[in-house]
Amino acid sequence: MDLTHGFGARSGIGPVTGLESLNFSDEFRQLVTTTPPENSGGSFTALLEMPVTQAMELLHFTDSSSSQTNITKLAGDISPHPFGTLTFPSNSLLLDRAARFSVIATEQNGYISGETPSSSANLDRVKAEPAETDSVSENQNSKQNQNKRKEREKKAKSSMKKTKSSVEEDKLPYVHVRARRGQATDNHSLAERARREKINARMKLLQELVPGCDKIQGTALVLDEIINHVQSLQRQVEMLSMRLAAVNPRIDFNLDTILASENGSLMDGSFNGESYHQLQQWPFDGYHQPEWGREEDQHQADFPMGSTTLQPNQVKVEL
Amino acid sequence: MASSDKTINTDVPEKDVFAIHFLQSLSNLTTQNPFNSPDTTNYRARKIKKAAYVSMAKAAGGSSRLWSRALLGRAAKENNKIVRFARRKRKVTWKISSKRRSDQRAPEATDRLRNLVPGGGTMETSKLMEETAHYIKCLSMQVKVMQCLVDGLSPK
Repeated sequence: MDLTHGFGARSGIGPVTGLESLNFSDEFRQLVTTTPPENSGGSFTALLEMPVTQAMELLHFTDSSSSQTNITKLAGDISPHPFGTLTFPSNSLLLDRAARFSVIATEQNGYISGETPSSSANLDRVKAEPAETDSVSENQNSKQNQNKRKEREKKAKSSMKKTKSSVEEDKLPYVHVRARRGQATDNHSLAERARREKINARMKLLQELVPGCDKIQGTALVLDEIINHVQSLQRQVEMLSMRLAAVNPRIDFNLDTILASENGSLMDGSFNGESYHQLQQWPFDGYHQPEWGREEDQHQADFPMGSTTLQPNQVKVEL
Repeated sequence: MASSDKTINTDVPEKDVFAIHFLQSLSNLTTQNPFNSPDTTNYRARKIKKAAYVSMAKAAGGSSRLWSRALLGRAAKENNKIVRFARRKRKVTWKISSKRRSDQRAPEATDRLRNLVPGGGTMETSKLMEETAHYIKCLSMQVKVMQCLVDGLSPK
């Protein structure tokens, strides 16, 4: 197979096919065939296999810790970049460059153009490479640039503040929205998007609350499920109140009047410290044996066994 | 109960709080109507249900939730008592403006939800969802309390 054509196809570089000094091609073929092609981008032999420019990109890549898939993407991206005349170095020169680049890879991206060897054969390459590194580094840092551009976009086009986190509401005076790339950024649509995200956040909250709602896809069905749940709860309250009414009507609930008189008015759900403390001490968990009794006197220790009695000793102690 | 979100607060008091309030309301009921008069079970059931809702609204933090205020206001109106809460600042709701635009929409899920949750008629949709979450929690608490009561009091 013709190596030059292979390279041309891969990189789309014209001058690769126009290899003038064809005596290099034999050396190159030796080089390439002796080294088994590996596709782990960080290996030295893989670098040697590819043209110099792509090898440098790879080094940039491993430096900037982007994923492996980007390499192939950028290999495709590099192809439209036209290069000047490229001459392939001799064997030793290539090894030198590769070694140097592997050393340089640990440094920052911008340094490479300054550190390329300035031998005569490489001068053209030096000129080509900085131009290429700039474009390449732009592509390599595209992710970071995209973020910066996004942020600049947002800052320029919208007057709202942006945060890195997701939408925060309710506590802050104005809404923090993250405008995604390619979406309209005028005030109305931003406000609408904020509102929609608010609603979706609460919907998620409700989904967690209602059992069996996280399996359902689609907000309409989830809402239906929520409505069913609320209706069932209300029906349960009604059922239980009927059952309570059917229970022996001679139950006297005087005990809690004691509580009321002791603790003052319990108007709100927020108790002050000590009354709530008393409540917590009261072992009323689960009401396994809630027992009510008829009482003559508040301070009486034992109650007549009318229907049932509440744990009177404990209650007396607490109060 | 721990709140499930940092920004949206749907804390609900412990079961004891609901229990206390419910028992108080029940005792008020029984002291009001001595059981000499023949009360049909239905009538008592309805009273107990009202008491349950009012006590739930009180236990959930009387005026700090829209639905509880609506419930308490509704109950007070039935008893011909006028209760006024400190009015909280209300921003112009989108809902009002949309109502004027299209009144003939088929009853959507959100509209049904508004009918179910007390006080849901004039709330923004996001606020409605918050209130629904809190309402569901309180309702389930109340159901637990009543279930335990009924289990304890029913003849063994």
